[in-house]
Amino acid sequence: MKSTIAFSCLFLCMLGSVFAQNARTVTGKVTSLKDKSGIPGVSVVVKGSSQAVVSNADGVFSINLPQTRTVLEISSVGFTTQQVTVGPSQTSISVSLEENSEQMGEVVVTALGITREAKTLVYAAQTVKPATLTEVRDPNNVLNSLTGKVANAVITQGSGGPGSGARIVMRGNRSIQGSNNALIVVDGVPITNGTNSTATSDFGSVQSSDGASNINPDDIESMTVLRGASAAALYGSQAGNGVIVITTKKGQKGKLSVFLNSGIAFEKPFALPRFQNKYGQGNGGTRQDTLTSGESWGAAMNGESAINHLGESTTYSSQPDNVKDFFRTGTTLNNSIGISGGSDKMQTYLSYANSAIQGIVPKNNLMRHTVNLRLSNQISSKFSTDAKVTYISQDIDNRPRTGEENAPVIDIYQIPRNVPLATAKQYETVEGGIPTPTAWPSTLSSIYQNPYWVINRTAINETRDRVIGFLSAKYQIAPWLDVTGRANLDRVFDRTETQYSAGTILWASQAGGYYQRSTITTTQKWFDLILNGQNDITNDLTIGYHVGGIFQDNRFDQLDAIANGLNITNKFSIDYATSPRIEGTAESQQTQSVFGQLNLSFKDFLFLDASLRNDWTSPLPTPYSFQYPSVGISAIISDMVRLPTLFSFLKASVNYAEVGNGGRPAIRNSTYTYAQGAGSGFLTRDATLPIPGLKPEIVKNIEVNLDAKFLANRLGLTLSFYKSNSTNQLLRIGLPTATGYSDKYINAGDIRNTGFEVVVNGTPVQNDQFTWDLTLNFATNKNKIIRLSEDLKETQLAGGYGRSATPQVKEGGSYGDLIGLGWARSTKGGYQVTAAGIPVATTDRIYLGNFNPKSTLGFSNSFTYGRFGLRILIDGRIGGTMVSGTEMNLAFSGIPEATGDYREAGSLNLNGQDADGNPISATTTAQDFWQIASGKRYGVAEFFSYDMTNFRVRELSFGYDIPTKADNSKFIKKARISFVARNLFWLYRGSSKLDIPMIGTRKMWFDPDMSLGNGNFQGIEYGALPSTRTLGANLQLTF
Amino acid sequence: MKRIYFNSLGTVTTLALAVMVLSTSCTKDFEDINTNKKKVVAIGPSELPFLFSKAQSVATINQGNYQVAQNLFADQYAQYYACVATYFPSDRNVIRMDWVGAAFNPIYTEVVPQLQTLFANTDPSSPEYALSNVIWVLAFSKVTDYWGPIPYFQAGTPGSSVPYDAQELIYDDFFNRLTAAIEVLKANTGAKPFGSADLIYGGDVSKWLKFTNTLRLRLALRISKADPARAQAEAEAAVADGVMMKSPDDDALIKRSVKGDDGNGLSIMSDWNEFRMSASMESYLKGYEDPRLPVYFLPVGATQANPAGNGQYNGLRNGLSSTQLTQTVNLATNNSHVGARWTSPAFGGVGNHNETPQNVLESAEAYFLRAEGKLLNWNMGSESAKELYEAGITNSLAQWGISAADVVSSYISSTKTPIAPGDFLNSPPVATIPVSWAADEATQLQQIATQKWLALFPDGMEAWADFRRSRYLKLYPVANTDNTDIKNTTTEYIRRIPFLENETIVNGPAVEEAKKLLGGPDKVTTPLWWDKN
Repeated sequence: MKSTIAFSCLFLCMLGSVFAQNARTVTGKVTSLKDKSGIPGVSVVVKGSSQAVVSNADGVFSINLPQTRTVLEISSVGFTTQQVTVGPSQTSISVSLEENSEQMGEVVVTALGITREAKTLVYAAQTVKPATLTEVRDPNNVLNSLTGKVANAVITQGSGGPGSGARIVMRGNRSIQGSNNALIVVDGVPITNGTNSTATSDFGSVQSSDGASNINPDDIESMTVLRGASAAALYGSQAGNGVIVITTKKGQKGKLSVFLNSGIAFEKPFALPRFQNKYGQGNGGTRQDTLTSGESWGAAMNGESAINHLGESTTYSSQPDNVKDFFRTGTTLNNSIGISGGSDKMQTYLSYANSAIQGIVPKNNLMRHTVNLRLSNQISSKFSTDAKVTYISQDIDNRPRTGEENAPVIDIYQIPRNVPLATAKQYETVEGGIPTPTAWPSTLSSIYQNPYWVINRTAINETRDRVIGFLSAKYQIAPWLDVTGRANLDRVFDRTETQYSAGTILWASQAGGYYQRSTITTTQKWFDLILNGQNDITNDLTIGYHVGGIFQDNRFDQLDAIANGLNITNKFSIDYATSPRIEGTAESQQTQSVFGQLNLSFKDFLFLDASLRNDWTSPLPTPYSFQYPSVGISAIISDMVRLPTLFSFLKASVNYAEVGNGGRPAIRNSTYTYAQGAGSGFLTRDATLPIPGLKPEIVKNIEVNLDAKFLANRLGLTLSFYKSNSTNQLLRIGLPTATGYSDKYINAGDIRNTGFEVVVNGTPVQNDQFTWDLTLNFATNKNKIIRLSEDLKETQLAGGYGRSATPQVKEGGSYGDLIGLGWARSTKGGYQVTAAGIPVATTDRIYLGNFNPKSTLGFSNSFTYGRFGLRILIDGRIGGTMVSGTEMNLAFSGIPEATGDYREAGSLNLNGQDADGNPISATTTAQDFWQIASGKRYGVAEFFSYDMTNFRVRELSFGYDIPTKADNSKFIKKARISFVARNLFWLYRGSSKLDIPMIGTRKMWFDPDMSLGNGNFQGIEYGALPSTRTLGANLQLTF
Repeated sequence: MKRIYFNSLGTVTTLALAVMVLSTSCTKDFEDINTNKKKVVAIGPSELPFLFSKAQSVATINQGNYQVAQNLFADQYAQYYACVATYFPSDRNVIRMDWVGAAFNPIYTEVVPQLQTLFANTDPSSPEYALSNVIWVLAFSKVTDYWGPIPYFQAGTPGSSVPYDAQELIYDDFFNRLTAAIEVLKANTGAKPFGSADLIYGGDVSKWLKFTNTLRLRLALRISKADPARAQAEAEAAVADGVMMKSPDDDALIKRSVKGDDGNGLSIMSDWNEFRMSASMESYLKGYEDPRLPVYFLPVGATQANPAGNGQYNGLRNGLSSTQLTQTVNLATNNSHVGARWTSPAFGGVGNHNETPQNVLESAEAYFLRAEGKLLNWNMGSESAKELYEAGITNSLAQWGISAADVVSSYISSTKTPIAPGDFLNSPPVATIPVSWAADEATQLQQIATQKWLALFPDGMEAWADFRRSRYLKLYPVANTDNTDIKNTTTEYIRRIPFLENETIVNGPAVEEAKKLLGGPDKVTTPLWWDKN
């Protein structure tokens, strides 16, 4: 390594000295017109002479120009050659070269790490530039950074603070009880991307980490998104949901480079509820500023002297910031260093990344270290290896719970409007070293408590150690044939510790407090062996083929040690358990596959792909086997026929593919579960009827794509149309419990997604100084539940009966229809009220909307002016409904802004009707109205349903390339500093759907991107963390 | 060159074959991989006691179901407690169908499979089989007394629908099963069925014999108006074979444990602060100066540091509206919580309250059942109705540790009557009868029912069923009704639970047929077969 550095230095010195002796030296920099990066190895020739130089790694060159010559010819493979005239007094020039797709096709990495030229693909593929993921970072999860960048991807962010699992759904939801998340493939191998805990109802949960959040964005070399299942027919299992193919960095030959990326970002809550600040604690307009009432239906606050719930003298005055100030400014520090270098025989890439994140909820912190070492060896001319070891160590402290139980967010939102934060901070009294919660004026002492107690005296801490070992070896049997083998071992050790101090409501039901330690080990072993060949059959016809086998083994093992009751108060260790309880679950699955893929290429403009795969998977009954095919064709029309000059490229493709999924482990036989209890414990027969004849799920996809480029590639357009049908779904449906079983598994159903996607790339302005690039993606998806089964016409998603609303799947409807109670209408269609003028709720749950957006949009603009670069990403969702359980809950207590009006008796006239449509003129008050609408914990969802259409400035970065000496004499070769922002501001957001007489509609205050969890329970927000606005700076250095 | 080509071809073939062979020959471990090692797959003799423990635990309403199966419904309708949480509508006669399923579903999925496995793996002449039959009847009597017709004879048979059966036929089967069990138990008095896995009596057959006869007697009285002849025959047979005689020796209480969330359900939910003493309880207990008052309830404001609180016991009327509940006098903090053995130290309760054994069936009830039978002129033994009534009171007091002779005798002879509780609604006394045995039969029946109600505490399921069956007990009308099927709360009250919403979805045709068995609409106001009031 040392010699490489010395050699490089020597080389640079030579460059400087050799050319220094000439009279007129012209220095210059050659950059790519597209991304402004320097192009290495560009040939610079003085026209009419033999004098020539080659640009260095950063595209910089220096050439001696004879007095008689003024023209330089600048050329490079993959770019259009340019001639530049150097002015008489000019000593430096800059040249931008335009990429030429005719010469070098874009290369993408597809399934199983197979590299293909983009033009040969028979399916839609979209690449995402890693730079857009590393500059403006989402501190929580790299997947969140894909928002707005991938057509037809709906990304929702987990609400568990830093490191929480995200949900990424492409081309609509298709699985009812399985996952709808896209498969993530790193270096050819699907990674374990499960989430150990996620909310399945509006009771909330602790949203834990997924596998994707462990990916260090700095290690990403390239990212390709294969939206359709077609692209992924070779992955089996969850590839039906689309695939994100990530390739990580390797060491580069011949030069040693050091990359450094440092970022700092500050986060503030972006979407908090809007509060009324006129009325304080009390009921019916009467002040009750003690423990009698936690609700804010009291008298107007005018600074009167009062006695608070702690018995202290205080004033009864408005505290407009008592929620905002609870949250702290989150800070994120990212530092990563990557070293790349090597010889012809061996290349090394070593990286270390460190993220230190302080979440916006006090005491919620994340610390992550990622070490990655990659060694690529060319052992002989035929044999090469590539090995990688990645170690991730992650600690997350005080992960906040969502929902309402022991959840800091809902607890602080409930603070009466007259209680200052300083009072809330007096959350405990300590006697003999034992803290006891002080009284708290919440509305329900059995559910809510002081949020400062929650964050200081309860904790959910997560520790993760993840080791991934990867080895691949390639043997070139013949120039046209090689064999590649891969082994990937991925083991995740998770440890979750849950602590509830004695006195914690609901969770510490036994003396001394509660402690739980869960140890979860997730292991994936993957081995594959693939034979890759390519032959020219005739001059025009080329055949490529891949034949291989894959062995995949997944194991999950969880062990919980629970101490409900501690012999020494608040000693959080299982050693102190009053009665320790140990429980465990385990699951394993093995899949063995063989597959073949054939690619035919005719005259390099007509391509045919076909594949067939057979899986043997352990959950299925013997012979465990099923298979699925794919076939696709693409034609480069611009190479086949003469098109108007407007077109520089035109391609059409169509493909059909099936993807199979082998079901779920251990559901074919009846089992009994042991549980502790009185005596020696219990054996209970499991309540789901087994399915001995389990069948694989099959997703069938058809996709048509059109790719066009215009005006010498200045404008590109991609259109995709698709239809997918998910059949034979593994469903769990309710049985009459009188059968002895509560439910059973069936294979049934047909869920259809259809839609189209448009991606436009363009460069409206391009000159020496200024370039403007834009990318626009727009997609729309339509989902229809064609059929469930004979026995089942509708089913609820995830956890069942919601308190605010319930997402469901119903024959004839769409995936994710939300149902909940509504405002009853009279026979004449008016709003129904009681004789007292109070709204009447429907007795049955009504359709409220669907949680999926109808369309998604992303619009990115990059401007480059000299060394300055500005990138703005605007994204939006059109359509979709979300129910705010938070607002429902708070409305009961007179907290939201809308509850501040019409508090005087007789002031609110809803102008409703009785059941028969006769007008009712009786008036009511805000309290009676909102308490009926809310019900506190079980409410009338229609009042709190919002149209979640929104557009916002998602990302903004403003960067500057710090000048570095063109002659490479400086240690730093490249430097860029940028100021970045995420979630900058709303451009538009939807409103509540019900236009309530006199009250009207309310603008959506929450961010529909924040979900309770990354499972299929979506469309309901209940005590979710507020999303954040991030501002920061980023520094990139290359040595 | 050619050689390389052939070598390559050979390698290809070999590799392809290797892959094929590898993949197809390795499925022999698949069954093993697909088996969850932490579960039991095959049931043998050593597993059976664990099944019995489970069936007992769930049949008697366990921790996970207690609130939504019993407390929010039967306990409120028996007016042991009033609800103080604004968000529970059941106290105002509105039944949330997704909650009350907890009194139905677990019996079928967590009692029936275990008992059927026991029936299939034991001999009908064995005491294990007999005890399984007794638990079956205990479990199903609670279900049918909530709904009336229920899926019964084909319970536990997989299929897409299970028919409902008429309550009359179900009761017939109860008696048949109990009679069979009694015969087997009589022949096996020395056996120790299930040993320590029997969480009620530890396998004591002679106690089980008394239990079974008492259960038979209870069910006989339940049908005394619907089928008097059968009721008398069953009751007399039960008494002849020996019912419970002495508290606490004969009493059935099930062990509860903090292990595995198997605590006493009442104790667990008392921490949630959602119910307090009812005005009915307050009127009777305070009026009678009942020595059980400080056992059943805690003084207002009791804490660990100050267990005596303010020394007062307060209750509130059932069915107060949300607005009424937010009035100071009606807050949880101003009313009496359930007694110390069911509450945590923070409220002035005991440290191991979650392990307080749960009441299943006690001797006092046997005496009250016999006293009522005596008034029906049944052969209930040599004692008079008055003697049986007083023995019932004596045993109930003994059950709660009150045995001082002077306290017991002064209570039995007390002429004090219920008081006006001085509550938010200024309620009058709930009733006018004293404890001391009255001269007329109507009052005597009311006294028996009242003392049985007091003695059954905290078993609201039995108390509510007995209230509906006899109507001798006087309770306050529910203050407000949000259920439009009940308009006049002095004459109308909840008499059954309507068929479950989920049953109409997954077992719809069977529910339609079941409605025909009801003899009225599928509403809360339709009386059950044995309810002839």
